[in-house]
Amino acid sequence: MRALFILMLLIPFLHFSQTGEFNFHSPKNIKDFANHLFCEKDYMRANLEYEKLENIVDDTLNFKIGLGYLYIGDYSNSIQKLSVIASVSVFFDEAKLQELKTYFLTENYTAFRSFYLESYSNKNNSYQSKGKKLFNFSYLFTDDDLPTSEKFLNPFNKGEKEKITSFYNWKNEPPNKNPVLAGIMSAIIPGSGKMYVGEWGDGIMALVTTGLFAFLAYDNFRADHNTRAWIFTGLGAFFYAGNVYGSVAAAQIYNAKIAFEFEDGLNLYLEQKNYFTPEYNFCE
Amino acid sequence: MRLTLFIIIISFSTAFSQTDWVKWEKAEYSYEKPNEYRHRAYSFEADNAGELVVKSIGNAYWFFISDLDGDNCPFRPSCSSFLIQSAKETNLLQGTLMFFDRFTRDMNIYKGHDHYPHLKKGYYYDPIALYTLDEDGIEYIPPSVIVKD
Repeated sequence: MRALFILMLLIPFLHFSQTGEFNFHSPKNIKDFANHLFCEKDYMRANLEYEKLENIVDDTLNFKIGLGYLYIGDYSNSIQKLSVIASVSVFFDEAKLQELKTYFLTENYTAFRSFYLESYSNKNNSYQSKGKKLFNFSYLFTDDDLPTSEKFLNPFNKGEKEKITSFYNWKNEPPNKNPVLAGIMSAIIPGSGKMYVGEWGDGIMALVTTGLFAFLAYDNFRADHNTRAWIFTGLGAFFYAGNVYGSVAAAQIYNAKIAFEFEDGLNLYLEQKNYFTPEYNFCE
Repeated sequence: MRLTLFIIIISFSTAFSQTDWVKWEKAEYSYEKPNEYRHRAYSFEADNAGELVVKSIGNAYWFFISDLDGDNCPFRPSCSSFLIQSAKETNLLQGTLMFFDRFTRDMNIYKGHDHYPHLKKGYYYDPIALYTLDEDGIEYIPPSVIVKD
């Protein structure tokens, strides 16, 4: 019984054993494995496999390697791979658009714009309008002068215009709070500068504290308790001045907050729109 | 063979069995709240006279009041550390104004949860860099973020 069991166990091993004839590292097998990894979204390993096929000139491979690097955030390698795609290739225009997106994602908007002007101006690129959208959108991320509203909105279609207009208007006239005004307001009525920037709780607290110390100082002076009165005066003065200072700081923080939220909104919109670039499916 | 195996198993379970005196031993547990002040930098090192004044006030406050009173400030850096650090980063006057502003904000009990980002331990993260009036130095962190200690 035992011998039979061992025999049964060994037979499949012998029968299905791996022979030396199968070449795992043939170009076809490497490519198949890389394609599998790419479809599994394991772009880093997929690219390692694709790059083993460096002797094979294939624009599809280069495009996929470029995309892979883009997806994992390795922008310099992505640009390098996408830029070698030949101008006669069917992927040429696609590669240019992805390269433009990659430049955009590096947040080096000067390089992005020079690439756009070099690749898209006066050339018959089938993604001219998509490139132009991204180009215009880049102005929302920088402090450069915005183009006129008409010029800015021109490449966007009807469905996009409403949202883009709101971004444009925000950038043109951000709803900032004036730090100097906040300081002046708090100097006139303690706490009002904080209320102006939306910090109602802090504003009320500042008004109460300053008012309380002012009253205590006044009351002690009236009662001829001069030492105590001067202590309260000093404390009140520091709370008052601290509040004026804090109102200026609060306005600056408010401005930083809305700028952060604005940029967050821009990034979210761009992600939803896939940076105005098409989605690719190599896995069906 | 079977008997030997049986004896081995039994002897192991007998040798390492849990005894009552281990089981019911009194647990050593401390209910003391760990105090951060033990790690406080009590020193008089200062770059200028203003900083020395503030550091001395801070040390005195820690020694005579804060260490006895306990860890009650909901902010990090705590208000006293905020004063010392802000005087170090700016100057005595600006540091004092920053402190009084912070103290006023500390007294506002109606805000915090939806206003400041938190540290892992639950403290509100309120760094000095936000209040030096250097707009480029302001790095806004949304309240939903948990900041690493």
